[in-house]
Amino acid sequence: MTRTAEMWINMGPQHPMTHGLWNLRVKVDGETIVDAEPEVGYLHRGIEKICENRTYPQVIPITDRLCYGSSMSWSHLYCRTIEDLMGLEVPERAQYIRVVVLEMQRIASHLMWLAAYAVDLGMMAGFIYGMRDREVFIDLLQNLSGSRLTYNYTRIGGVAHDLPPNWDREALRACDYMEQRLREYEDLYEGSKIFMMRNTGVGLLKRDDAMNLGVTGPPMRASGAKYDLRKDRPYEAYADMDFQVCSRTEGDCFARYRVRMDEMWESCRIIRQAIHKMPKGKWRVVAPRNAPAGTGMARVEDPRGEGMMYAVGDGTDRPYRLKIRSPIFVTVSAAPKFLVGYKVADVVAIMGGLDMCIGENDR
Amino acid sequence: MTGGGQENRGDAQELEKAPTRIDGDPEERVLRELVDRFPGSASSIARVRPGLVRARIKREDLHDSCRLLRDALGFEHMSMISAVDYPDRFEVVYHISSYQNNITLELISQTPKDDPTIDSVSDIWGGANWQEREAYDLMGITFKDHPKLERILMLKDTLYHPLRKDFRG
Repeated sequence: MTRTAEMWINMGPQHPMTHGLWNLRVKVDGETIVDAEPEVGYLHRGIEKICENRTYPQVIPITDRLCYGSSMSWSHLYCRTIEDLMGLEVPERAQYIRVVVLEMQRIASHLMWLAAYAVDLGMMAGFIYGMRDREVFIDLLQNLSGSRLTYNYTRIGGVAHDLPPNWDREALRACDYMEQRLREYEDLYEGSKIFMMRNTGVGLLKRDDAMNLGVTGPPMRASGAKYDLRKDRPYEAYADMDFQVCSRTEGDCFARYRVRMDEMWESCRIIRQAIHKMPKGKWRVVAPRNAPAGTGMARVEDPRGEGMMYAVGDGTDRPYRLKIRSPIFVTVSAAPKFLVGYKVADVVAIMGGLDMCIGENDR
Repeated sequence: MTGGGQENRGDAQELEKAPTRIDGDPEERVLRELVDRFPGSASSIARVRPGLVRARIKREDLHDSCRLLRDALGFEHMSMISAVDYPDRFEVVYHISSYQNNITLELISQTPKDDPTIDSVSDIWGGANWQEREAYDLMGITFKDHPKLERILMLKDTLYHPLRKDFRG
């Protein structure tokens, strides 16, 4: 390889590739990337510190703001952590309702990623389609909770209220609609020669590297690791659901796209089963005001990977410490491994394929 | 298509030494190995719930025990590093997961208030790198032998560590 003078290029904080405020510094030798360094922190709001000064229920709307693309999964994770700390058992109906809303959130989040990814790779049509169909699920969640993106729906000990009349029927209809559309997307994306050329064989990540670097979720499963917390360490009502863990062995950008598409198919299946199996009964238990001294930990499969929280209680009504593990924070720290050796033009495909979310990354 | 990524090949040889899954009861085995290998250092052994075990370890033995966990007990994944500021001590809590044995270990190590330093484990798990930087940035824990211990979320010239309890904005 001919070597020329190497130089650092800032891609960001204002760049079409970044999807939010962050900066990717790449060191290039001609067109080839020889080193990379992400810089984050532009959206640091000190959420962990804010939570220490709020009572336990007051934290729920704050955790919604961690990522507006998947706020339900974050408030659910927080509620699970505090339920673990307080030793609460969630009623069975609430567990099924949570599964339904979490899977809807997963589809909405993946669709937003798909739409943004299409625009990254020069397919404006894909953006419009993805955003249109995401509204179907956002409308359903809005019917349920009253707000469009930050739902504030899960509660410590259950969910805020029962499903509205006929909501389950609408949800089933949305799944039918989504499955039709998914076929259309597969034709649209995989039939696009440009999309395939920019995706296949780009951003290779090996399975052992993915595990060692802490990469989780769809990027890890696309590298051949078949591990999904919904299956391997089931929480809520996921143990009763029949679904496949989506995984690929190629480890490139196309495999990551494929894993997310397959996950949307599986999410539709899970929503249908959860609605059909949902028992009648209570949807919430009353949580105590104060948590005991001790710690609580919960670990869930967020749309972006492994979401975790660790809460320390001290007997008062406020958390002593709440640590949030954002999956994308660790995934993006592995960026040099994805990027080195590829060309500058591949950066958009590689980093877009990770589903970057700055809100949860910077907290 | 661009034919890159050649440098990514063949640098995970060391990991392939990791054994296959533990037969029988992996939770029992992990806790027993920790107590056997680090007597007097590992304490507060507990099985919290299915799939989650807890142990405390003295900070001198942290790096050795982490190496044992990865190389002999199949913990491939550093899930989360949390630093907690208690009135009398700092605690660094490592949640380490094993995909092949499907368990998580909560390994707790503590440092005195006046000397918040601990060994870095980012040479064992690459995923620990940024999480240690975050703990340094927000809580002021110094990780010895970390490749690049710099602020990550706050500005470079910040003078305080905001998650400490004595911090008043």
